[in-house]
Amino acid sequence: MTEQINDQISAFIDDELSAEESALLVRRFEREPNVRARALRYTMIGAALRGELLQPHSSMLRRRITAALDGAVTTTERLAAPRGSARYARPLLGLGIAAAVAVAAIGTLRLVNEAGVAPNGAIGGTVLARDQVVAPSYVVPQDATPAGPVTSPIRLTNYLIHHSEYASGLGRASVSSNVVGATVEPMPTQAEDTELQWH
Amino acid sequence: MALMPRSLVRSPLLLLTLVGGHAMAQEAGKWIDRMNRAVDELNYRGTFVHVIDGTAEIMNIVHRNVAGNSGERISSEAPRREIVRENDQVKWILPDQKLVLLETRKDVSPLVSALPSYSADLEPHYEINLRAATRIANRPAQVLEIKPRDEFRYGYLLWLDQETAMPLKSQLMDERGRTVEQILFTEIDMASDVAASDLEPTINTTGFSTLRPPDLVPSLAANVPWRASAVPGGFRLSAATQSPMPGSKYPVEHLVYSDGLATVSVFIEDPKTKAEVNDGFSKVGSTNTFSLTLRGRKVTAVGEVPRQTVRTIASSLVAE
Repeated sequence: MTEQINDQISAFIDDELSAEESALLVRRFEREPNVRARALRYTMIGAALRGELLQPHSSMLRRRITAALDGAVTTTERLAAPRGSARYARPLLGLGIAAAVAVAAIGTLRLVNEAGVAPNGAIGGTVLARDQVVAPSYVVPQDATPAGPVTSPIRLTNYLIHHSEYASGLGRASVSSNVVGATVEPMPTQAEDTELQWH
Repeated sequence: MALMPRSLVRSPLLLLTLVGGHAMAQEAGKWIDRMNRAVDELNYRGTFVHVIDGTAEIMNIVHRNVAGNSGERISSEAPRREIVRENDQVKWILPDQKLVLLETRKDVSPLVSALPSYSADLEPHYEINLRAATRIANRPAQVLEIKPRDEFRYGYLLWLDQETAMPLKSQLMDERGRTVEQILFTEIDMASDVAASDLEPTINTTGFSTLRPPDLVPSLAANVPWRASAVPGGFRLSAATQSPMPGSKYPVEHLVYSDGLATVSVFIEDPKTKAEVNDGFSKVGSTNTFSLTLRGRKVTAVGEVPRQTVRTIASSLVAE
């Protein structure tokens, strides 16, 4: 059951649920705080990984979220709109709910920061002792575009981190300096590559 | 080592050359060992330029080691950023994102992590030479060259302080001799005392968000039923593990191939894992990756090696 709801939330956040399924899930969010909290956590993680919580102009994000929240009822109403506009309803509904949890997520992050870490504190003793926010990856994408990179920078960065644990001094090169702010460069391939041979 | 005619092997001149080359490599190896100790054990402050992928960052470093406890603060101005390490506790401060990242790891300094280590096993695959001395940051420096003998690995040029072996400049070179990554001290002071307070962050983090990545769960030794069937000479399987990875429900199989200096990881995803990695090449800094799908599994090779190397190893993966 838990796995099923997790999959549903995940599909919802990824905008993979139908409008009807989304509407049902939203009603469940309203009834069951635990489910909503879980969705919040997922969205926070996703938003953090996409850099949405970390953009310098967070006020713009807040305005967008507020606008989406204001429009949440409207988007729900659009579910019953004429057939011609139905295809717009699902993304808007998804945005509204995702935005709602994102707002809470921002609050959560800030709250933990204020409670857990003293500004400019020494690193050893002031690391978050409780309720620390766990980032699901080291990566902080900075140049996310709607189209997205060829490869998930999150996955790639996780690979890099694991790789660095086994690498020699050379192998560890640049992992740390590249992880924060990592962008993934899609590479042209076949045309300019020549197969090399060895004994 | 490549095959050669016996007559040449018997040649005293060639033998002398080989012995001389080995002695040179050993001498160079001592310099590399001294260098690695100097970076960790000395107290120093300075400014260096870190150039990677055509992007240059100017960084200030203050490093301190007292009774084996080491730490440093590294600051860059554009973008404004600060990395503070106290033994294995690291704090990344990113004011442009109002973010503090906390993590537990070593070698966070690009200065330290960009340095090689020496082993005699390297000699068949790398030519290691001492070259003419020069001056860097107004100090006399010994130049070391670690040159790959084929196109499947990167090489180094190192400029080491004559007195302390501190690396004043290092270059990571690709298979065509182009600089992939470079670190150059523009000024360095290895004489003055460094106080603990010199390592404290200078950026006010009031109102910043704080994130701690998940601790790496120790990998499980595993009988990974995959092997690369074609690897460049000198690369050997050094680890085979199965470990969880953030964002994946299923463990990821991980093979590690190394020639003693360069290392290539091969990650094999469970077929049930939703692919987040597209086939083809990617590049992060000096690290190349190549991904492909084999029998429904996403396979990705990762390493600070030329693109051909990651592609060759990943493409040759077979089930045992």
